[in-house]
Amino acid sequence: MPSSTSSSDRAERGGLRGASDRYARQTAADRPGIAQPVPARPVPEQPWGRILAGALLLAALLLGGWERYWRDYGVHPAIANTEGLWAIQRRRLDSGEGDATVLLGSSRLYFDLQLPVWQRLEGRRPIQLSFEGTSPLTALEDLAGDSKFTGRVLVGVAPDLFFSGFGLHNGAPRYANKESPSQRIGQWLSMHFIEPYFAFDDPDFALQTVLARQPWPERPGNKWFLRVRKLAEVGPDRNAHLWSKVGDDPQYRELTRRIWRQDFQPSPDDPTPAEALKTEKEQIGRAVRAVAALRARGVKVLFVRMPSIGEFLAYENRGFPRQRTWDALLAATGAPGIHFEDYPELRPDRQGYYLPEWSHMTRADGERFTAALYGIIERDFWGPGASAATAEAPAAAAAH
Amino acid sequence: MVFNSLTFIAFFGCVLLLHSLPFGWTTKKVNLLIASYLFYSAWNPPFVILLWVSTVVDWYAAQGLVKARRQAARHAWMLLSVIANIGMLGFFKYGQFLLENFTALMSALGIAYSPAHYDIVLPVGISFYTFATMSYVLDVYLRRALPAQNLLDYALFVTFFPHLVAGPIMRPTELVPQFAAPRRATAQQLRFGLALMTIGLFNKIVLADSFLANVAERIYDGDRTPGALDAWAGTLAFSGQIFCDFAGYSTTAIGVALCLGFAMPDNFRFPYAAVGFSDFWRRWHITLSSWLRDYLYIPLGGNRHGPRRTYAALMTTMLLGGLWHGANWTFVAWGGLHGVYLAAERGLRARFANYRPGPVVFVALGLLTYTLVNLTWVFFRAKTFAKAWLVLRGMLGLNGAAKPILPTFSLAVVAVIVGGIVLTHWLMRARTLESVIARAPAAVVCGVWALLLFAIVTVQGAGSAFIYFQF
Repeated sequence: MPSSTSSSDRAERGGLRGASDRYARQTAADRPGIAQPVPARPVPEQPWGRILAGALLLAALLLGGWERYWRDYGVHPAIANTEGLWAIQRRRLDSGEGDATVLLGSSRLYFDLQLPVWQRLEGRRPIQLSFEGTSPLTALEDLAGDSKFTGRVLVGVAPDLFFSGFGLHNGAPRYANKESPSQRIGQWLSMHFIEPYFAFDDPDFALQTVLARQPWPERPGNKWFLRVRKLAEVGPDRNAHLWSKVGDDPQYRELTRRIWRQDFQPSPDDPTPAEALKTEKEQIGRAVRAVAALRARGVKVLFVRMPSIGEFLAYENRGFPRQRTWDALLAATGAPGIHFEDYPELRPDRQGYYLPEWSHMTRADGERFTAALYGIIERDFWGPGASAATAEAPAAAAAH
Repeated sequence: MVFNSLTFIAFFGCVLLLHSLPFGWTTKKVNLLIASYLFYSAWNPPFVILLWVSTVVDWYAAQGLVKARRQAARHAWMLLSVIANIGMLGFFKYGQFLLENFTALMSALGIAYSPAHYDIVLPVGISFYTFATMSYVLDVYLRRALPAQNLLDYALFVTFFPHLVAGPIMRPTELVPQFAAPRRATAQQLRFGLALMTIGLFNKIVLADSFLANVAERIYDGDRTPGALDAWAGTLAFSGQIFCDFAGYSTTAIGVALCLGFAMPDNFRFPYAAVGFSDFWRRWHITLSSWLRDYLYIPLGGNRHGPRRTYAALMTTMLLGGLWHGANWTFVAWGGLHGVYLAAERGLRARFANYRPGPVVFVALGLLTYTLVNLTWVFFRAKTFAKAWLVLRGMLGLNGAAKPILPTFSLAVVAVIVGGIVLTHWLMRARTLESVIARAPAAVVCGVWALLLFAIVTVQGAGSAFIYFQF
């Protein structure tokens, strides 16, 4: 802050005095200890009308070119996959749909399960609360704490996320609770007036993201990881499906595989085996508490291990062996589960489900898979004919 | 709501439309007042009550001041206002901090004390509007200004949405007179106001949020030890981020007000070209530094009672100024460092009163100032002293075994953007934005404006809050 009111200080003030700048003006810094006057706010002399019109036209042309570029790349306008969108679906449980079926998992349950197929079979559309790159446990705990929820929940288990507790969107339940009126309005405006019309409006095509993924030289000793690229397209009620480019474009498919492969290599940042084991037990403990709270008020909980293949499956089996993770989870929670390897209808090797990057299936196969999964769930777990033993005891499902 | 949101665009469109309709002036002011309350309540509706409390208390305190005949009564009315405002600020902003420090003190004395859980949400912008309302009562108390003629004008001064949550901190004498007669932006003001909003939002959304924030986060919020290059890059990135974030907000706010026909004061004047720290504080957050000068430093004695008292007033002002920014000792350290810088500069100026630097030394002193300012940003950005020391050690090259953290792209971003900011500040050091725009060919202004709009849209800002909202 100004330490002096002396004239010598004032003489050095900003150097504006005496300049041929007719827009020069004093600030409060130049007027100590007095009531500050109404500020001067001159407008530079320019043909502002023409400038504004020209700027808007030029910006529109630039944005039109940008949009064209991404459409040519294969992008279609889609709803942005935001926490605000998640919050809209979450609020449905508190607004008269507390008895709904909730889908809660990571990207596999999110992209592979097709809500229209489920709706056709059940007569009711489930609520999709999965989030990519995120363990479902935080959201499961959120449901466990919500007495208005009395429905059924299908919990997707992607071993590397579920048993590590990793979550890109672990903050979603908190966001939904704290969402301000301004954020709600912004979400509504965006998904009605922006997102359905502009393909470039996707985080993967944001200017800074595009620049960052250019082939910059690597710093010695600084291995730079490629970020996960766009994988899915999302609808207004969070019905998502794998982006067709992943399956159709060999180059893009190879890129997505290369990105996954980064995770398959050991890294100095990896936890030690003891740390990993401890984390797995913690996550199972979280699941046990949440499931117990949900079942105490009659909510049916069903775990599902969604399909993966190839190098991804090998990585998961290596890092998160079934016996130590999936089986332990079912045993500890007492909740039933469906492992895709136990059901021929769900196995990619038997049904020919196409998972271009080993982790998610194409839209068409997702529809087939959803029908198959729904059939198993109705037959063995949630339908009127499901035996109580099958519905509650994991051993029965495993022995199928 | 934040300026960088679709909600604000819709809101502002409605406000502009209402303000241009042929209503009477009082109706237009009521519209602006209601709009301002909506603007604030869009974060958290109940906190509007705090605004009302602040408004009513200071309105009646100023009325009481004017009517009081005895000095003691004037004192009492002034103190009522100060205690109410500082009390509110203290409760919401510093309650948890005070409790934690009290608990730590008790623990150090061997007394086990565990307070009840205390979870208070900080109302957005409370530091800004409490300072604005306090300046109203203090100006009346100091006989610098007359009270507002009516409650509507005063309430609108407190609440006027462009400055409400993050300044510029306005004085009543700057804004209340503008409510006396009908005001509506001319076509030129409206268009230039939109241009200022574009510049401000470009600073915030593109430079601060999309390019620089991530670099600072990787160094300050990560758990890896930074080497010299990374520590400096992270700190320089933050120096650019905080300038673009806060100056971006101020510029947007000035543009918003101008679109409605109102003038708001400059809050920044190319601060990274400052030579010396008194110069820096004449250029950085001008409305806060002048507020602290007028209502704290000068009442504490200023420079009128000898060097010792001057230095004490300076340090007190800067320490409290640091605390104003946040309830954490790291902010106090930030303010303290600036206090030390100012005191040292004052001492040096007295010692070398006749020294006039040549152009090379002048620039060198400017770069030294910027470097030392960056050291203070470490304490401002780090959440703990441990992190601050870790980054400082890195900047001094003492984290020998540190591995590289930032990729080449991030280093390039810092070099280009922060280098560009510093260079621009030096080129603009003795100029105003308006003079540069006035001299530029219209086609260039048009092209630059279009590019800024293009960048704002294509970085797809997530509507993140401005850093200074938390203060």
